[in-house]
Amino acid sequence: MQARLSVDIGGTFTDLVLLRDDGVSFSCKVSSTPAEPEEAVITGMRLVLAEAGLEPATLSEVLHGTTVGSNTLLQMAGARCGLLTTMGFRDVLEIGRLRTPGMFDLSWDKPRPLVERRYRLEVRERMNAAGDVLTPIEIDDVLAAGAFFAGEGIESVAICFLHSYKNPAHERAAADAFAAAFPHIAVTASIDVLPEPGEYERSSTTAVNAYVLPALRGYLNRLEQKLRSEGVTAPLLIGNSNGGLSGAAIAQQKPVFFISSGRASGAVGAARLGVATGEENLVVFDMGGTTASAALIHRGVLGRTHEYEFRAGMSVPSRFIKAGGYMMRVPTIDVAEVGNGAGSIAAIDPGGLLTVGPVSAGARPGPVCYGLGGERPTVTDANVVLGLLPPFLAGGSLELDVEAARTAIARELGAPLGLTVEQAALGIRDIANSNMVRAIRAVTVERGLDPRDLKLMAFGGSGPVHACDVAAILGITEVLFPPSPGVFTAMGMLAGTVEHHELRNTHMPIEALQPGQLSSLQAEMEEAAFAALARQGYAPDGITLGYEINLRLQGQDAALPIALVRDPDQAALAVLLPAFIEKYYETYGYRPSDAVEAVSLRLHSQGKSHAALDFLNLRSAESAATGTGPGVRMGCFSGHGWLETTVLRRQDFQGPLAGPLIIESADTTIVIPPGAIASVTATGSILATLEQMP
Amino acid sequence: MSAFDPITFAVIKSGLDTIVDDMAYAVMRTARSPIVRDVLDYSVTLCDARGRILSQAKTVALHLGAVPDAMDLVLAQFAGNLFPGDVVVLNDPYNGGMHLPDIFMIKPIFSEQTLLGFSVVIAHHCDVGGRVPGSNASDSTEIFQEGLRIAPMKLYERGAVNRTLLQIIASNVRLPDLVLGDIDAQFATCLIGERELRRLFDRYGSDLEVYFDRLLDYGETLTRKAISAWPDGDYHFTDYIDGDGFSAAAIPIQCKITVTGDHLTVDFAGSSPQVKGAINATFSFVKSATYLTIRCALDHDVPNNAGVYRAITVLAPEGSILNPRMPAPVAARALTGYRVVDAVMGGLAQIAPGKVMAAGEGGNTVVAIGGYSGGRPFVLVDMINGAWGGRANKDGIEGITNPSQNMSNLPIESLERQFPLLMEEYGFRPDSGGAGQYRGGLGLVRQYRLLADTAVLQLRADRHEHPPYGLFGGKPAASSRNSICENGAWRQLPAKITLEITAGTVIRHEQAGGGGFGDPTWRDPAAIARDIGNGKVTAQAAQADYGFQGDGA
Repeated sequence: MQARLSVDIGGTFTDLVLLRDDGVSFSCKVSSTPAEPEEAVITGMRLVLAEAGLEPATLSEVLHGTTVGSNTLLQMAGARCGLLTTMGFRDVLEIGRLRTPGMFDLSWDKPRPLVERRYRLEVRERMNAAGDVLTPIEIDDVLAAGAFFAGEGIESVAICFLHSYKNPAHERAAADAFAAAFPHIAVTASIDVLPEPGEYERSSTTAVNAYVLPALRGYLNRLEQKLRSEGVTAPLLIGNSNGGLSGAAIAQQKPVFFISSGRASGAVGAARLGVATGEENLVVFDMGGTTASAALIHRGVLGRTHEYEFRAGMSVPSRFIKAGGYMMRVPTIDVAEVGNGAGSIAAIDPGGLLTVGPVSAGARPGPVCYGLGGERPTVTDANVVLGLLPPFLAGGSLELDVEAARTAIARELGAPLGLTVEQAALGIRDIANSNMVRAIRAVTVERGLDPRDLKLMAFGGSGPVHACDVAAILGITEVLFPPSPGVFTAMGMLAGTVEHHELRNTHMPIEALQPGQLSSLQAEMEEAAFAALARQGYAPDGITLGYEINLRLQGQDAALPIALVRDPDQAALAVLLPAFIEKYYETYGYRPSDAVEAVSLRLHSQGKSHAALDFLNLRSAESAATGTGPGVRMGCFSGHGWLETTVLRRQDFQGPLAGPLIIESADTTIVIPPGAIASVTATGSILATLEQMP
Repeated sequence: MSAFDPITFAVIKSGLDTIVDDMAYAVMRTARSPIVRDVLDYSVTLCDARGRILSQAKTVALHLGAVPDAMDLVLAQFAGNLFPGDVVVLNDPYNGGMHLPDIFMIKPIFSEQTLLGFSVVIAHHCDVGGRVPGSNASDSTEIFQEGLRIAPMKLYERGAVNRTLLQIIASNVRLPDLVLGDIDAQFATCLIGERELRRLFDRYGSDLEVYFDRLLDYGETLTRKAISAWPDGDYHFTDYIDGDGFSAAAIPIQCKITVTGDHLTVDFAGSSPQVKGAINATFSFVKSATYLTIRCALDHDVPNNAGVYRAITVLAPEGSILNPRMPAPVAARALTGYRVVDAVMGGLAQIAPGKVMAAGEGGNTVVAIGGYSGGRPFVLVDMINGAWGGRANKDGIEGITNPSQNMSNLPIESLERQFPLLMEEYGFRPDSGGAGQYRGGLGLVRQYRLLADTAVLQLRADRHEHPPYGLFGGKPAASSRNSICENGAWRQLPAKITLEITAGTVIRHEQAGGGGFGDPTWRDPAAIARDIGNGKVTAQAAQADYGFQGDGA
C-alpha cells in the first residue's frame, strides 16, 4: 500500500496528514521547531507513519506548504543582497511606482528597499525596446561589482537589465559570468522569474527572489536530506502562492512564487471542499498559533490576484492600490491576514489599553499553561482558564497547567486593570475576536459584500475555538467546521494538483493569427510542459492541458484571456473576436469596434495525482486517545458567565444539540456558545446555526 | 426606513469605496494613452442624485474638489432633461472644467426612472488640439490657443451616441485614436459605476438615500471635530511661483487660514492678479487644492465625501490667478494648484505641526515632447514626481507622488517602446533634500535623448528661484534645474519653455527635493553617515549642512 503525506508548518504547530491509497487518512499535530522547521516534520512523519502502519519508502508524494518565505520577509531576515542593473538606473528599485496605498496620510513610509542603494551597482550595457544592442555589455563591470559584493559579505544578487525580457543576452551573460566567478553568491536573473516588460515590477520581483532564496533553499535542502535519510524516496512538492504544487527544485530557484505557500494551501483546500459540497459563497477563516487569515469564495470562485505587495500588517483589499510593500508580480490567492493567533500575547499598552498580538509566544516558550517557560498570558491561556479548551495539549500528550495560566492572567492583566481573572480572560478573547474580524471585513465588507449573506468556514488549530463568536460580531448566522479542521491546510493540499504554466508572446493583430503557426507554438509549449511535469513524476496521460489567448484593444496594456482549442482551424480562430467582444462587454459594459491584438498564448497544464483526496468520501482513522468526553465541565462564556457545558468527542457527535457545547478532536476544539445549535451535514462537516442578531 | 443599522452603514460606506476602486481599476485596464494608462492622470467619483460626492477613488485628488462645481452646473443646465442612457461631457474651464485636457464625463445612473446618482470620470487627455502638442503649454496667452473647448453637452442621449460631437473632437486633436480610445475607457468606467450602484440599490432599496445622507453627515462631523480641537485664530503663509514664463517676477500665493470653533476659512486675498501665461487656476481647482491639503491634517478615517467641504469656506478674489476671468489661459494651472497646496500646508504647520510636512518638490514637472516619427504623430506627456519634505518625527520620502495626486510614473520600457526617445537616466539627485533634523526627500533626475528628426519640447518646471521651504529650522531643498545638450554642448534652460529640438538632443531635468524639518544640528549622526554611505548625501554637503566630519557607514 502506498500513501501521500502532506505537511503544513505554522508558527506554533506543524500539521501532518497521511492519505493511504485505500482512502483512509491519518493526521497529527506536533510543536513547530522554528529554528529548524524540518525537525518537526520528521517527528510528525514518524508518528503518522507508525499510526498508519507504513514505512517511509511507501510514500508516493510529500506535499508541503511553508511559511519560511513569508516569515523571512515579515521579519526582514533575508539575505544581504546586491543588485546589478543598467547604467543610469540603480534607483529604479527604490523609486518604485510612486503611489501610496492611502491618501491624505503624510505619516506614511515607503518600505525599506530590500537592496540598499550602496549595493545597487550599475553595469555598462544597453538594449533598446526592440532588443537591439546599443551598448555591448562590459563583463568587467560585473566582475568588479562581484568583487565588491564578496568583500561586503553579500549573499545573494539580483540582476535586472532594461529590456532583458526582449533580449536576454546581456542578462544571461552577466549571470553566467557572475556565477562562475563567485560561486558562493546566489544569483537571480530577472528573465528567470518574470520575463515581462515593466522594469520596476521585474526588478522588485527579482529582488524579493534574491532576498528569500538562501533561506528557502537552505531549508528545503535540509528537509530533503532528512527525508532521504529517513528512507523517503517520494518527490517533495511545494505549495505555491497560487495554491498549486511544484517540485522542490523550482521552489529553490524561484522562491518568490512560494512566499504565501502556507496561506494559499488552506484557502484552496477550503474552496475545493466548498465546491465538493455545493457551497458557493464562503468566508474562509483560518486561525493558527501566530496569525489569523481570511479569504473569500464568491459564486464558487476563490479570490486571486496576479500581483501583490507584501508588507507587515493588514493587506489592503484593493485591486487598484496595493499595500505599498514589496511588489511581486506573481499569481497569488488573495488572503487578508492579521497578526493574531492562539499564541498571541495579551498585554497592557502605554495608554492603559488591553491589547492582544501581534507578538506571539510561538512554539517556544509557548503559552504559560504549556509549562515550557512562558510567563506572559496568551489567547490560549485565556481559553484554558475559561474552560473552553481541554486541560491537556493536542492529542493528550501534555497536561496543561491551568493554575499557572490563571496566575499569569491575574498578575499581568487582572490586577493592573482591576478585573477578575475571568473578566480579564474574556477580555482577551473579545479583543482577539475583534482583531480577527478585521481580516474578514477586509475580504467582505471592504469589498461591498455583506458578510450576513455568507457562511463562515472555520479551520486552523484555533479557528473552531473562536469562529462562532467572530461570526456573531459580523452577523453571520451559519458556521461550518470541515472534517479535521485543525489540520485542514495539510488536508487541502492532498486535494491539489501540480500546475505548470507556459507563456509565449504573439503580439500581432488578431486577423494575422494563423492556424499552422499557433499549432506549432502549442506543440512547443506542450513539449516544455510535459518535460517539466515529467521531472515531477507525471506521465503525459495524467496531464490535462488548457490554452488561453490574451487579447486586447490596440493601444491597451491589459488583456483579457479567451479560451483556445488545440490545433485551431480557421473556424476556431473566427470565434475568438466575438468571444473577446462579449467578454469585454461583460467586464466593461460596452462592445468595442476597435482593432484587437493577440498579445500572448498561455498554456495551463495540470498533473493529476492518482490518489487525490475525495472530500465526499473521507475516512479518518481517529486515534482512541482524543478528548475527555463525553462528559460535562464548567465553561465561561461572554455575557453568560460559568455554565455547565456538554463535552463530546467529534466521532461521537450525532447532533443536533444546542450550546453551550464543546466538541473535541485530536486536532482542534469546536466551541458552540449558548444560543447556537450544532448539527452534522450530509458531507460530514459540523454546522453551527447562530441566532439572528436583533 | 427600517432602524439605522451600523453594520449596513459600514457595508454601504465600504461598498461605495469599492465601487470607485473598481472604476479606477477599469480606467487603468481600458485606457490607451500612456498618461492615463501608466501615469494614471485621472480621477473617479460617485455622486448622489443631488450631485454630492459620496466617494472618491484614490486617484488625482486635485481633480475632485472641482466636481461639485461641475455637478451644480450640469444639474442646472440639464434640469428635467436627463434620461437613462445619457452621458454628459465637458472640459471648458469657464463652464465647469479645469483645463482643456481634462475631459469630464458624467453619467446619470437610474433604476427604472429613479435617479440614483452619477458616475464621474475625469481623464487628462494626451492632446486636445491648440498650438502645442499635449495642449499643456504654459506660454499661451488666451484660452483660444489652448485647444478645443467643450461646454457641457451630451455625448450620449438615451443610449445613442452623438456622432457630430465625436467627429468634432476627432478633427481637432493630434491623436484621435488615443483620445477617442480614452473616451471609451471613461465610458466603460461610467458603466461600471452604474452597474455597481444599481446593485447596491437592489440590495438596500430606498434606504440607500438615507444612508447617503448619514455618510455625508459623518464626514462633516469628523471634520468639525478635528477643527474644533485646533486653536482659534488667523494663520498666514505665502509661497511663490517663479514666474509665468513671460515675466520673471515672482508670483505670490498668499493664504490666511482662520479657525473659528469648528469651521475653517481659507482666504487667498493678496495673491497675484491673473497673469499673462497659462498658469491661472480656476476657482474650482483652487478649492480642490485647499480641501485636500486640509484633509491631510485631519485623521485618516475621515471619509472622502462632500460632508468634509461643509466645514470649510474658500475665498479667492475675482480676477486673481486663483479665480481668473475669461479668456485667461489656464492650461498649465496644475502648477498653481501645487503652490496653493504648499501655501495652505505652511499655514497648517502653525496649527497642526505634527500632521504636516515641509514643502515637497513643488508639484510634478511636465516634459512634453511631440512631433512626427516615420510620418506618424507622437506626443509624450511625461510627468516627473517627486519628493516629500521632512516631517515632525521622520525624514521625507524620495520617489513618491505629490500628496495632491496619486500618480505613477511611465515605465522606461513602456516609454521607449512607444516613443522615439531613449531614457539615459532615472534616479535620485544627491544633496537635493533640504537639511534638517529630519531631512527632505531627494528630487529625481530624468534624462531623455530624442531619436526622431525633430520635435517640439515643452517644459513646465518651477522651484528654480523659490526652492521648497523647510519648517521649524529645517533648510530649503535644492532648486530645480533644466538643461539641454545639443551637439555636445550643455546649457541651462529656464523653468518654463517651448522649444524646437532635433535628433540627438539630450534633455535633463533635475527636480527640487523636499524641505527639511527641524534644526539640522539635531540630526542623528548615524542617519547622516548612512546617507553618505548610500550616496544620498555627499561628504562635502554633510560637512556644510550638518558640520559632520567623517565617512559614511
